Amino acid sequence: MKPVDFDAHVLTPRMARIIEARDMTAQERFFRLQLPQPLTHRPGQFVMASILGIGEAPISISCGPRHDGQLELLVRNTGSLTHAMHQLQAGDYMGIRGPFGSGFQLSEFEGRDILFVAGGLGLAPLRSLIEPVVGEPQRFGRVTLISGCRTPADELYREQMQAWAKRPNVHVIRLVTDTDHLPWGGEVGLVTAPIAKLEMDVANTLAVLCGPPVMYKFVIMELAARGLPNAQIFIDLERRMRCGIGKCGHCQINHVTCCQEGPVFRFSDLESLPEALT
Amino acid sequence: MRGFLTTRATVLDWLHTLDQLGDVFFPQPMGESSFRFDKVRKHSLLAFEDFDATSTEKPFRASTCVQPPGKKLSPNNEQIFHFSKNENGEYQLTPTLDDRQRILAGVRPCDLKAIHLMDRINSDGIPDAHYLSRRQNTTIIAHDCLQPCDQHCFCDATGSLRWREGADIFLTPQPEAKLLIEALTERGEQLLADAGFTPCKNIEGRKTLAEAQRTKPFGRQFNAPLQQVIDTVSNSGESPVWDKHVERCFSCGTCNLVCPTCYCFDVQDDFNVDDPDSGQRTRSWDGCMLEAFAVVAGGHNFRPQLAARQRHRIKRKLAWLPARFGDGSFCVGCGRCGHQCTVDIDIFDIANDLLATAETKP
Repeated sequence: MKPVDFDAHVLTPRMARIIEARDMTAQERFFRLQLPQPLTHRPGQFVMASILGIGEAPISISCGPRHDGQLELLVRNTGSLTHAMHQLQAGDYMGIRGPFGSGFQLSEFEGRDILFVAGGLGLAPLRSLIEPVVGEPQRFGRVTLISGCRTPADELYREQMQAWAKRPNVHVIRLVTDTDHLPWGGEVGLVTAPIAKLEMDVANTLAVLCGPPVMYKFVIMELAARGLPNAQIFIDLERRMRCGIGKCGHCQINHVTCCQEGPVFRFSDLESLPEALT
Repeated sequence: MRGFLTTRATVLDWLHTLDQLGDVFFPQPMGESSFRFDKVRKHSLLAFEDFDATSTEKPFRASTCVQPPGKKLSPNNEQIFHFSKNENGEYQLTPTLDDRQRILAGVRPCDLKAIHLMDRINSDGIPDAHYLSRRQNTTIIAHDCLQPCDQHCFCDATGSLRWREGADIFLTPQPEAKLLIEALTERGEQLLADAGFTPCKNIEGRKTLAEAQRTKPFGRQFNAPLQQVIDTVSNSGESPVWDKHVERCFSCGTCNLVCPTCYCFDVQDDFNVDDPDSGQRTRSWDGCMLEAFAVVAGGHNFRPQLAARQRHRIKRKLAWLPARFGDGSFCVGCGRCGHQCTVDIDIFDIANDLLATAETKP
């Protein structure tokens, strides 16, 4: 075969020092990492994060693009690796490879109204796009964020969402499905509920969704009812990649390799793919 | 490129001498009816198939090796990197790249095409360093088939029988227990330079002679041309065929395990028992027929139904990867999946059933 150039370190992580670690909820732990070199990531990309000797998993990047070599991750305690990650403290190290995936192109959102719909932990990857969009109000149109979770105790990035809501041209709707007898200043219901009443310039709106698989179908039904074309809906999918470089096969959805062509897709590119959303 | 003509026995003796360049692998009998693609050792008994109809001895028939030769390029439980702590307590990570010279000999056209397809996969997008490091230090000596290896063979139907790309040296059986030896690459030329074989002056004539001996039709044939098979599989969505062929399936993943174009893997970390500050990450073969293959964090399974997993496997081979790479079928027709399946589920039958269903549609 013809020789092909390759990066010998493609499957070997770089070690990143944890400079901040704290529990955001009972299930999610926030990490700020210092990398040896900046990742130069796009919103919507992910990294392969690992603890040496324990394992590696794909984790969405939850901060906007930055150049100081810092990286923010929000990790849900859901398996043996993420359980181990929840024991990590500032000063400990995490292995990082990436960034991987297509992510969002900020230029596609210029001048457009943007509707974000986040279910639970889906807010973390969307935050990588919300941050730069909210940070440059003159470059983008009206921003609406609908963020839902189960109870007030499960809410992520509460202070930041409240700060975003104070900005001009930013509208934030926070929901829980159950107040669980806790104080709650937001609404009660599902993320689908507010869509019907939203002020929306359909022709100029792009919707961006991230949440559990069960959420997509119903949010898409509501958006369709408002007349939003499928090509104006972006979905950030979850798969359990093992490599991030399109080789391990675990994230393949029909002919699409989620870690390469995704995890961000236009819904118009997914509607003919069985198994993409459920 | 040059060609030589010599006896099978001379070539086998020559293969035994190649171990000074690196590990040499060749199909070797395992029990009565199976072959293992194994390292050639000093006392290994090697043999080429006997195509000579005039021979009075019982003809020696090779079958496909249970594991395809290409698996030597991405072995199971392959180390990706190893780590340890230095005196400052910092982790040092070192990628494990295997750049030892090795020779894969006796590789049949179906498996040769499969290696070519794996070259494409591992060079695509972000290249896989670990595969390519092995591959670029590997010499391939391929061997033509003049008769189907067994009743499961359908390499001709998938367009693999006459595959040559990727071979450095190609061996073509000749009458009187001889072999035509052709160098197809510079690497092959170099390897043959000092072998001392007799040059062949009429390479094309010798190839024509072999072609005349080739069984026709060669092995099983689809009920339609290959392109129609690929089109039919590509256009088949929900179909009763998927359900029919999983009625007996145990979801054991043997079809994935023996397929020369299955390359999915899982990744595992381990500490060294005697030094918990060091360890390694390895990858092991995985299979899309296994139930948990498409499970994500939290337990959601994107392909819980057996029929959906079967469809995924077949469409990878006969629809999606052919469309992505434009290199024909990713099923090379070796017949291993059908041969090794406990309950005789065969991709060949599934493809023919899809063709039949497509024809009866209005």
